[in-house]
Amino acid sequence: MDDSADIKYIEQILAGKIEAFGYLVDKYKNRTYNLAFRICCNHEEAEEAAQDAFLKAYRSLKGFEMKSSFATWLYRIVFNTAISYVRNKKKRMLSLEDFPVDATDFTGTDISEEEAVKEYRNALMNFALQKINEEERGLISLYYYEEMSTGEISDFTGISKSNIKVKLFRARQKMLDIIEKVEKNKLKYHEQV
Amino acid sequence: MNRSEKHDEDNLWQYIDPERIEVAPENFTHTVMTRVRIEAKPSKIPGRIRTISFVPAVSGLVILILIIIAFVLRGDYQDAPTLFGLIQNIDFPVLNINLESLLNINLPVWIPYLFVGILILGIFDGVLSGLFQRRIR
Repeated sequence: MDDSADIKYIEQILAGKIEAFGYLVDKYKNRTYNLAFRICCNHEEAEEAAQDAFLKAYRSLKGFEMKSSFATWLYRIVFNTAISYVRNKKKRMLSLEDFPVDATDFTGTDISEEEAVKEYRNALMNFALQKINEEERGLISLYYYEEMSTGEISDFTGISKSNIKVKLFRARQKMLDIIEKVEKNKLKYHEQV
Repeated sequence: MNRSEKHDEDNLWQYIDPERIEVAPENFTHTVMTRVRIEAKPSKIPGRIRTISFVPAVSGLVILILIIIAFVLRGDYQDAPTLFGLIQNIDFPVLNINLESLLNINLPVWIPYLFVGILILGIFDGVLSGLFQRRIR
């Protein structure tokens, strides 16, 4: 399905056919949910933020000028909604002890060692994401998970390209520090055991 | 910048699996569409406009009535000229309206107090409604 299909559905929605919006929701639900999850770091909050974003998109569909693709326009709404959603919620500060100690903690009966390591790294990444602020989380998500360039992120967020680079650099450093501390903590734990 | 160039630059990539995507819950589309049907309906703007425009119409009517009363009532001092009489003394032509029958109406003395009371209550009501609306917002 391409952009022209999106435009067709948008025209139907604007003509009063609400059901056509369901096609767009179904098409973009996973990517929007994924972006919301990276920023909210919580499934319940991500679902609520993604739903709110779709609602906002529906309400402001008349104002969509089709200068960018519908997907870019929608992700921008999701990005801003998720960030303001996190800002309005008071988050519990996580300590390093909150992180599962080892990749073996992820091993189950139906999961290979390789998959357990992947799960561990993913959990480690999500943990580090929770320790940085919501704007940095959003930028990390766009750069690493959505694989946008700094120029694309600049267009997307309205922040200058040089500022994006600085913010990304800081966020990256913070996350690597957190990951390093967790890894050291893990070693300490193993030494104690 | 392609992905391999990005990879060379930082160590964070080793913890990232871009292929991994958090999937939306099964009933996500259904929930969004239900919310769209319920919440995204246009608000009843015409009714609101009618309510708002009703207020100045009433206040305009009250002011008009008060002006008419000021012309008609003489008060306790019978010798005192009415407002209409004062206007007649001004040295420029005034429309000669036959107000005799209107002047003969014997209105109770408490009528002006009633209108002043209504005016004060109106102002009080306006202040209260402004306060409550600000609190709701």
